[in-house]
Amino acid sequence: MAKISSTAGNVGSFGRYVILVLFSISALIPGYIMLTGALKTQEEFLSSPWSLPPHPTMTAFSTAISAGLPGWFVNTLVITAGSVAGVMVLAALAGWGFAYWRFRGRETLLGLIVSLMVVPPVVLLIPLFQFGAQLGWISTFRILIIIYVGLMLPFSIYLLANFFSAIPNSLLEAAQIDGASTVTIFRRIVLPLSGPPIATLVVVNILWAWNELLLALVFLQDPEKHTLMVGVASFRGRYSLDVPTVMAGMTLVTVPLVIAYLFGQRYFIQGLTAGGVKGE
Amino acid sequence: MTEVTTRTGRGNPPSAGRGRSQRGMWHAALWIGPAMVVMLFVFAYALVQLFTQSFKYQGEWTGWDNFRIVLTDPLFHTALAHNCELLLCVPVLIALALMLAIVLAETIKGHTWFRGVLFFPYILPVTVVGVVLGQLLTLNGAFNTALRDVGLNVLAQDWLGDPAIALWTMGGVIVWKEVGFGVVLFLARILSLPAETYEAASLDGAGFWRKHWSITLPQMTGVIAFYAVTEAIVMVSWVFNYVYIMTNGQGGPGDSTVVTELYIYRMAFADHSIELAAAAAVVLFALTLVLVVAFFRLQRKSLLAVVGE
Amino acid sequence: MRRTIRATALLGVAALALAACSSGSGTDTASSAAPTASASPTSTEPVTLTMSWWGDQEAPGAQKWLTAAITAYQAAHPNITIKETLQTTDGLIPNFEAAAAAKTPLDIQYFWGGIYAQQPGWNGNITPISDLLPADEIAHYTNAQMEDSYQGKVWVAPWYVNPSFPVLVNKDLLAKNGLTVPANWADFLKTCDTLSAKGITTIAGGVKDGWFGGWLYSILGAQSVSSQKQVLDAVVGNAKFTDPALADWWTRLQESQQHKCWNNDINSQELYQAQQLFVDGKAAMTVTAGPDAPNFATKAGGPSKIEVIAMPAWSDGPLAGKIASSSQTLGVVSWSQHKAEAAAFLMFLHSADQLQAWYDMTGSLPADDRFDLTQVTDPIKKALFSYGTDNVPYLENFIPAQLDSDAVFKNVQLVLKGTETGAQAAADMQAQMERLRTTDRNMVSNFTNWASSQ
Repeated sequence: MAKISSTAGNVGSFGRYVILVLFSISALIPGYIMLTGALKTQEEFLSSPWSLPPHPTMTAFSTAISAGLPGWFVNTLVITAGSVAGVMVLAALAGWGFAYWRFRGRETLLGLIVSLMVVPPVVLLIPLFQFGAQLGWISTFRILIIIYVGLMLPFSIYLLANFFSAIPNSLLEAAQIDGASTVTIFRRIVLPLSGPPIATLVVVNILWAWNELLLALVFLQDPEKHTLMVGVASFRGRYSLDVPTVMAGMTLVTVPLVIAYLFGQRYFIQGLTAGGVKGE
Repeated sequence: MTEVTTRTGRGNPPSAGRGRSQRGMWHAALWIGPAMVVMLFVFAYALVQLFTQSFKYQGEWTGWDNFRIVLTDPLFHTALAHNCELLLCVPVLIALALMLAIVLAETIKGHTWFRGVLFFPYILPVTVVGVVLGQLLTLNGAFNTALRDVGLNVLAQDWLGDPAIALWTMGGVIVWKEVGFGVVLFLARILSLPAETYEAASLDGAGFWRKHWSITLPQMTGVIAFYAVTEAIVMVSWVFNYVYIMTNGQGGPGDSTVVTELYIYRMAFADHSIELAAAAAVVLFALTLVLVVAFFRLQRKSLLAVVGE
Repeated sequence: MRRTIRATALLGVAALALAACSSGSGTDTASSAAPTASASPTSTEPVTLTMSWWGDQEAPGAQKWLTAAITAYQAAHPNITIKETLQTTDGLIPNFEAAAAAKTPLDIQYFWGGIYAQQPGWNGNITPISDLLPADEIAHYTNAQMEDSYQGKVWVAPWYVNPSFPVLVNKDLLAKNGLTVPANWADFLKTCDTLSAKGITTIAGGVKDGWFGGWLYSILGAQSVSSQKQVLDAVVGNAKFTDPALADWWTRLQESQQHKCWNNDINSQELYQAQQLFVDGKAAMTVTAGPDAPNFATKAGGPSKIEVIAMPAWSDGPLAGKIASSSQTLGVVSWSQHKAEAAAFLMFLHSADQLQAWYDMTGSLPADDRFDLTQVTDPIKKALFSYGTDNVPYLENFIPAQLDSDAVFKNVQLVLKGTETGAQAAADMQAQMERLRTTDRNMVSNFTNWASSQ
């Protein structure tokens, strides 16, 4: 990795740090307001939003939790786990299918699949909702999981197809000569080698599923099935007069992501840039 | 050099012959099939249903009626116009991300920390961002209070309550959240460029601007194009959450933040006009096809290089 | 390129095949399920009733009342279980629309009165309560006839009365600035001039979430019309929203903005947030929901400091200077599997004990003329309740809901921001109405029918 050596001298260096610090502050401001706001009372927040909480109190957090957060958390876990597991399995299989076999229209099909990332989810919302209604699957987890899997597949297939194609021919040919079937090759050679991209993809997909709002809002009508995002979205209306509780809710919803981010920063960044850096 | 691998004779077991590709297709279908089924359902089925419904009213065929109504609806025009205005934020995104990436690439001390912080907004849920920033940006909210405290009263606008600037405020929030993605994207590209070129240029006396203008930028066209198209897609197809959260689903003040996704959503769920919503959705989809083609073209190049032909 | 076309065609064919296999082409939005009573109310099969409602936001105590009522009812009818969900203001209608489209299990739904019950009825989502309960029972329900009737049927059962809308005045704050409670519009504007010169907010409001716009439309706009029929005429096209009787109120609204009557952040505050300014003593007046007014008055200092008035009159029309009456309602949805049981529960909510409990727990007026008014001694409540029973129509309930959100909410925001004049707002409202007549193809016939039953 080549880092451009800083030859510009101390003046340029100062300018650089000013820019970086300014933008870093702006990146962290909402988090700061959110966290400090959650520890204040309504009056404290309204009178001095920027100060550190004078008498930190956990009242807001307990209100937020009693509003249903634990239930929402479980629902989000179920949906996220289910959809990420589903997409990983299907994408790995499909990715290998694209990488291993040559067939007519392969790259066209792959290109088409990748282009599906462009479709606005609201466009799919209405017909899928009606279909779900006919089946009686509204407010079930399964319909949402299926849709999430569908939406996450294009990028996942693309990423894995890319990576699988890069596995050296020699390894595969050696296995073939030994008489291994395709399935065995896949299991014994390809998958073990694919640790990093799979980890990356898992992280990226968890992020996507966790943060999704519109589809969850529409498909999960039953309050007992609400996810974290749907729950806190209604927070704002329900607690419009109690900003600390809203902030506490926001904080609680973000904490798992922050923890994941701190541990998996590398994977996040790798995964999301994989599609673009190779576009050269 | 970069990591593009060359693929030769990929996927053909040693005894490859012309007949191989036939059997290849069948096998491939088995592996790809399950994923295709899900995607066919979620995308193809939904799109076909959408198309059919847009030509009906309460179960009966009505031809182009729904489209006529939607396409002559001033509110729909407004919504489309607003999406176009949001597209104007893409160059801003690119410029900001480039600047930050270049600055970051030249920084060694604290590099990882800064990169981590700058990327952080990107992983936050839009819901959280919308609620917290919405709270900050009220006329007498934290942001304006701070501005007034340092004497910058004239800058303390009614960010979300003034119809003239509400949409730009929304754009600003989106930029705030999305710039981190561009930063790491561009950074990865810059860092993969060989150091020797830069050193040679410095020896030749090239300054900061010259270096990046002549060396960095030309090498970045591909990744900039990728980022531009990706963010354009966001501005057209993925801004519903921001508007829904920050304007209570109203698209206000007035109509100033109504975007096409919101138009469709309200037509379907608030106005009980599901056929009109379908027609509007078809129009939106058709318009995004332009972006689809652009994205497809961009990816095809790299796909061809990697998947091998 | 050829390959792309072929692949796309393949996908397309597969998709069509898939679609052809699926049953039907979407839900019937127009048909209303024929009401079939699935079981008589005296059957002992276990029945679960699902209820989706709103109201604790404007009538605090409603949740407690409902919980108690459900407990009592379940005790008396052991085979019946009732599940209730309180919706958010923004979510009430979208969630109902989604439930209607998906026919998710639902029996009892809350509707704001007037158009908010009529439109779902026209869309086939309500089984008229007059099909399920005796006429002489419904005759006791306040405003059922005025707001919720259509071609001889009554859609929904009024639940509680919402005097729409009282203006709360902080007499102390006015007195401190040498002012008295404004007697009419001219007075009101002078009050605004005096107070704004001192940097004090005369009247607090919040229009970011839109709803307050509808309130203003009614309390200002009703003053120049003779009855709700005039509004219905404009909807149908026999009159225009630019006619002076329907348009002049926009200019009054503009005047209030020009005289700096409102809090300066009215466009970035939501309805309930802005009302806090009044409670905190930072504004001299505010508008509150009828059921909640006594609570606000108490929180802000009690009847000695606070007075409840109707919006200052700017015209001498028959509805000026009065507080309108509207009832919030509960209805039985058309796809309910237990209509008879649902209706029985609704009737239970109108029993004498429940009416009394409602008043005791919320301090607001139940929508039933059998409630004993003589027990009310609090002056603020007495005033409110008297308005609540005098049948003055609440105008927002007589325009299409889409017109409300697309024209009223939006233009109120713009006029209060100062970016639009009253005349422009009225013109836009007329334009929106004309647009709505094309996007909602049944609107004219529905409203014509409704007008003829008035």
